[in-house]
Amino acid sequence: MLASLLEDTLDPAYAEAAARRGGPDDGSRSQRLPQVIVGVLVMGLILGIAYTDTRAEAPSSERARLALLADVQRDSARSAQLQDRLEDLRMEVAEAVDAALASTEDGREQSELVRQLEAATGVLAVEGPGLVVTVSDAAPEEALDPVTGDAVEAVPEAGLVLDIDLQAVVNALWAAGAEAIAIDGQRLAPTSSIRTAGEAILVDFRPVSSPYLVESIGDPDVLVPRFAGSETAARYDAYRQLYGIGFELLRSERISLAAATDYDLRYAHGSAPPSVGENK
Amino acid sequence: MIPAFALALGIALGLFLDPTVPLWLQPYLPIAVVAALDSVFGGVRARLDGIFDAKVFVVSFVSNVLVAALIVFLGDKLGVGGQLSTAVVVVLGIRIFGNAAAIRRHVFHA
Repeated sequence: MLASLLEDTLDPAYAEAAARRGGPDDGSRSQRLPQVIVGVLVMGLILGIAYTDTRAEAPSSERARLALLADVQRDSARSAQLQDRLEDLRMEVAEAVDAALASTEDGREQSELVRQLEAATGVLAVEGPGLVVTVSDAAPEEALDPVTGDAVEAVPEAGLVLDIDLQAVVNALWAAGAEAIAIDGQRLAPTSSIRTAGEAILVDFRPVSSPYLVESIGDPDVLVPRFAGSETAARYDAYRQLYGIGFELLRSERISLAAATDYDLRYAHGSAPPSVGENK
Repeated sequence: MIPAFALALGIALGLFLDPTVPLWLQPYLPIAVVAALDSVFGGVRARLDGIFDAKVFVVSFVSNVLVAALIVFLGDKLGVGGQLSTAVVVVLGIRIFGNAAAIRRHVFHA
């Protein structure tokens, strides 16, 4: 079957038709030209349509990608906008609470306490002196893509900063006496998470990327030496020498951190009515 | 000569009219293309062999397209549409190459 497929490439009907007519003749004279023309026209039409169709098809996948990209950008812009509004409203609430409490001595005390608590839990934007730790992936190297075999610029696996590395920095900063911490501008609340999803690190479900800027507020005279002397800092020094991971400490006299985005408690409820006396 | 002009005219019409192919026809387009190419090369070769027949030419083209479309349609329903359209393309492709080789022998005597 394969042999006949390879050898008899011409439709056998041609030979049969020629045999019926009694031997080969020289073509077009006896032929029905209009049929041939219509047939050939249709074939040409199919080829032309296929060409334009394929050409229209290729950019359409690109269009879909761009549309998705635009959707993502629009929605994240909207998310950021809502975030700003949320912060403004929170400020308004805080001011209204202050104004309501400012009339009495007890109220002023309460409002000071609320302010303290809000700053501590990440509800309020805060500012003050502190320490900025910059952690970054190692410089990309020439490597072979495992799938295509092409030469690509890639960060060697050992040179990637992982979620546990960032967690270690944050924990060391808390231990060193930091009062408020943000990663790439993402303020950490008591319920914040730092974890890897695919190739990105998410802080409270928002992606952050190398270089990771870990800003912390605290007494610089305590924070800096304690953090620099911590086990984490020593390990990072080793990482820097072994794998080329970036690690820098910068003392700063003025750091301002935004409010945290997600600190809602879903299961825990205050067990006592808020009162200054009880909290003291 | 006239069929060659008709072919060019058909291609030009397809290019400039830019008709939209309905979605349900999309899977059959590649098959139709290969069948059309097969018929064109087969026709040219038959012409050079001196056994061209208009009826065979048109009927073989139409039936090729229909049978190929039917195979792909059945394949789609049975879950082997992709493989069957590959089979159609391979078979017709071999015929196209065979006919092209025969045409080359006629034209260049080599």
